[in-house]
Amino acid sequence: MSTAVTFWYGCNVLRHGDIIHACLDILRALDYEPSPVGGVDYCCGTVKDANQTAAAGMATRTVGKLNNRGAPVVVWCPSCHSHMHEFMGRTNERRFDMSYLVELLHAKRERLAPLLVHEVPMRVFLHQHVGFNDLVPVNRMVPELLGLIPGVQVLQATYTAPGYMCASFAALPKALEDIHNNTARAAKDGGADAVVSVFHQCYREMVGLDAAGAIPVYNYIHLIARSMGLPYRDEYKEWKRAGEHAAELIGSERIAKVGIQFYERAILPELKKRPSLRNS
Amino acid sequence: MSDRPQIGQRLKEFEEREVERILGACTQCGKCHEVCPMAQYSKAPSGDHPSIVGGVLAVLRGEAGTPEALGWIGVCTRSGVCVPACPENVDPKMMMRLARMTALGGRGQPAQLPVKEDPDYFDRVRAFAKLQLSDDELKEWT
Repeated sequence: MSTAVTFWYGCNVLRHGDIIHACLDILRALDYEPSPVGGVDYCCGTVKDANQTAAAGMATRTVGKLNNRGAPVVVWCPSCHSHMHEFMGRTNERRFDMSYLVELLHAKRERLAPLLVHEVPMRVFLHQHVGFNDLVPVNRMVPELLGLIPGVQVLQATYTAPGYMCASFAALPKALEDIHNNTARAAKDGGADAVVSVFHQCYREMVGLDAAGAIPVYNYIHLIARSMGLPYRDEYKEWKRAGEHAAELIGSERIAKVGIQFYERAILPELKKRPSLRNS
Repeated sequence: MSDRPQIGQRLKEFEEREVERILGACTQCGKCHEVCPMAQYSKAPSGDHPSIVGGVLAVLRGEAGTPEALGWIGVCTRSGVCVPACPENVDPKMMMRLARMTALGGRGQPAQLPVKEDPDYFDRVRAFAKLQLSDDELKEWT
């Protein structure tokens, strides 16, 4: 008998449909029946520090919608999870149990392990941050999950970035440049084949290292999915690698859905952006 | 008159209680700033830890923050290293978050830091959803 859960994936992970689809398949394989919700209408409001009236309205709306679903909530986004603990859940009547996906997968690791049947021969360096671990010890749990995958060797972490995830460094380019460079250097010094991120916000930034030819980059869900034989394509990485020519991969039909002008103004610059790497 | 609470009233009251608690508990020892891995990126870095924390508390009181305090508030990315370093259990991570909201003008006081909201932020989320999800998924999941 499967357990119904709401899979609250967040907003910006919508760049990575493969991650969302893989998470749903993994949850199903672990006998959950996930109903995915996310996007702007389920935003937690954490991005609205400069407008607390808007933040409060968004939080109340989203807690109400999650309450109405009447199922435990499994959270993907670390920002949503933190904001629920620190603000939303303390100022609204939350009537659902909530767990973070890493916690759930870690708790179900004995059930997960036999599903990881395909070898993924890879020495990986975990891109980790100091924050968030007070809420969920992801820097311990994710390597333990990766260690279940046949062929994966998790290298000892020799660099831990400040903050709790990379997207909050968007307005701090010097700090983000340090994170890119320190991550690439530590991974290469350790003999890693690839960098693996915990959060999608970090994946979005770190995949720039991949596109720049510095080192391959994955999210931990990619490796779990690959070992389970889940077939999803990482289109965001393909678009990022293609940069200027990403539209050829996306195709005119999909570009038309968002509008060519919006694509060129608001999406293409992100796909073309590359990290500033220092020689070492 | 409606009995419905004003939008944001509970959040406002929660934040006011937290500010009051923090102002009452913080001794300005400066440990939170001393251990912060982001302080080096401040536009106005300083080693005078107690003074910088005093500037943060001024922001929370609705007063003008010093350049050093505002510089630190502007680079906080919620590392949380300050939380176990605090000998008074103040929760400096919450202190900095509330100071950031205040300095950005989010809690009603005049802004002391520039607000850099991305006007395309939510439309970009919607656009990626259209690029990555099927029409049925868009309808059911978002």
